[in-house]
Amino acid sequence: MSRLFRASLLALVSAALCVPAHSPAAAAEETAETGLLRMMHLSPDTPAVDAAIDSVSDPGVGVVLPAVGYGDVSPYQLLPPGTYTVSVRAPGADPATPPALATTVTVAAGAATTIAGVGSFAELQFAVLPDDLTLPPAGQSRVRVVNATSAGSPLDLALDGGPALATGLAPAGHTGYVDVPGGPGRLSVTPASGTPTGLPVDLAAGSVHTVLVLDREGGGLEVTTLLDAASPGMVPVGGVEAGAGGAAASGPPPGLLALSVLALAALVVPLRARFAPRAGTRYAAR
Amino acid sequence: MRRVRPRVRWAFALLAATGGAVAWLSPGSAAPAASTAAPPAPTVVAAASGAVAAVAAPVRLTVPAIGVDTALPGIGVDDAGALVPPADPALAGWFTAGPAPGATGPAVVAGHVDDRTGPAVFFRLEELVPGDLVTVARADGTTVRFTVTRVTSYPKRAFGTAEVYGPTTGPELRLITCGGEFDRDRRSYEDNVVVFARVAG
Repeated sequence: MSRLFRASLLALVSAALCVPAHSPAAAAEETAETGLLRMMHLSPDTPAVDAAIDSVSDPGVGVVLPAVGYGDVSPYQLLPPGTYTVSVRAPGADPATPPALATTVTVAAGAATTIAGVGSFAELQFAVLPDDLTLPPAGQSRVRVVNATSAGSPLDLALDGGPALATGLAPAGHTGYVDVPGGPGRLSVTPASGTPTGLPVDLAAGSVHTVLVLDREGGGLEVTTLLDAASPGMVPVGGVEAGAGGAAASGPPPGLLALSVLALAALVVPLRARFAPRAGTRYAAR
Repeated sequence: MRRVRPRVRWAFALLAATGGAVAWLSPGSAAPAASTAAPPAPTVVAAASGAVAAVAAPVRLTVPAIGVDTALPGIGVDDAGALVPPADPALAGWFTAGPAPGATGPAVVAGHVDDRTGPAVFFRLEELVPGDLVTVARADGTTVRFTVTRVTSYPKRAFGTAEVYGPTTGPELRLITCGGEFDRDRRSYEDNVVVFARVAG
């Protein structure tokens, strides 16, 4: 009975004093502060461009990526959620002049997006690729393919002993994500008119990749395996036991805790004296 | 910008090394021979840009704002898959199955908030605020600096696994300890405090 009474008093004190410090609302607010956006130049015959990412609602928010050439991949840009205009111009062009190409894209909190300039110069367009940077299933890696070669070479890509990643993928096209077993392997790349070429790849468990197939200077194809994001190959289960309670009565938050200690002292000590004189040693022995 | 195309040179070197198409190295002399075979099968080579340089293991963690300066022994998970901090309450530990601090992804460090007698290494972790500095010294003598972006707590039975361990596009750091109310019957704190940090620009 004394135990029950004491437990309820403890709960009462804790509920009154400690809970507000761990309000879930505060966590949610901080979680959802930014989204990610990056750009790729994947049009083989388009010269380098200046790319601009500008917030539609807030003219002060934006990023300029100067002289982006074929095959370039920008780092992910951290942006406040909202709608953005993505535009490209000739290098050095006045940002006030009409862009050669523009589109709008929505940056959502916690989400990632790739904007790629694809196709031939004559048919240049933006492809908007949603990036799935969530945790892959245990032991798996997530991968997709973008065919950034010039016209006329659909591609097959597959992991040796694993799933097909792309089948008849046309230039300027991209695949959805495929989950594959994590770890080193061989990527078979087969142009429409060619025989398979095996390339070593390491798609570590927990990571997300984009495979870019580019025209190579002087002819042929160049395969780039981009690491988009990584996480532990093995994800721990649940929370972490990282305390034994020895400082529980004097831990943070400091101001409230002082009150809490006083309250506990007033309530618990007399109870212990009356009903559970050896409670302290019992806890220590557990 | 990450320049992919300069890697073409490496691709050339690779080709030369494998002997697959020496023609590419000196197009003036040998290219015609290579291109006489019709139809031309496109040469496919791997670019090196996806390769990530190995990052040395961490050896020490410093958090000046809360007076933390600790060695970083490796830690892992128990039979149930739960992350286990170092037995020594004075030390924080690095989760060796995850990214090293400075490599792409969330590097995970855990330490006790207290032991049975009093405060432990991460007793003051909850006091950190966005902008605070965290420094990790590595086995190769280099140092990597992180900036705290947020401090969150999760009930242990609803731990934010996806947020804490989910993929990140750059080097990040997670510092984990206990917090919230201590359940004396279960000898366990009810929450975990997690500090999120991103590599300093």
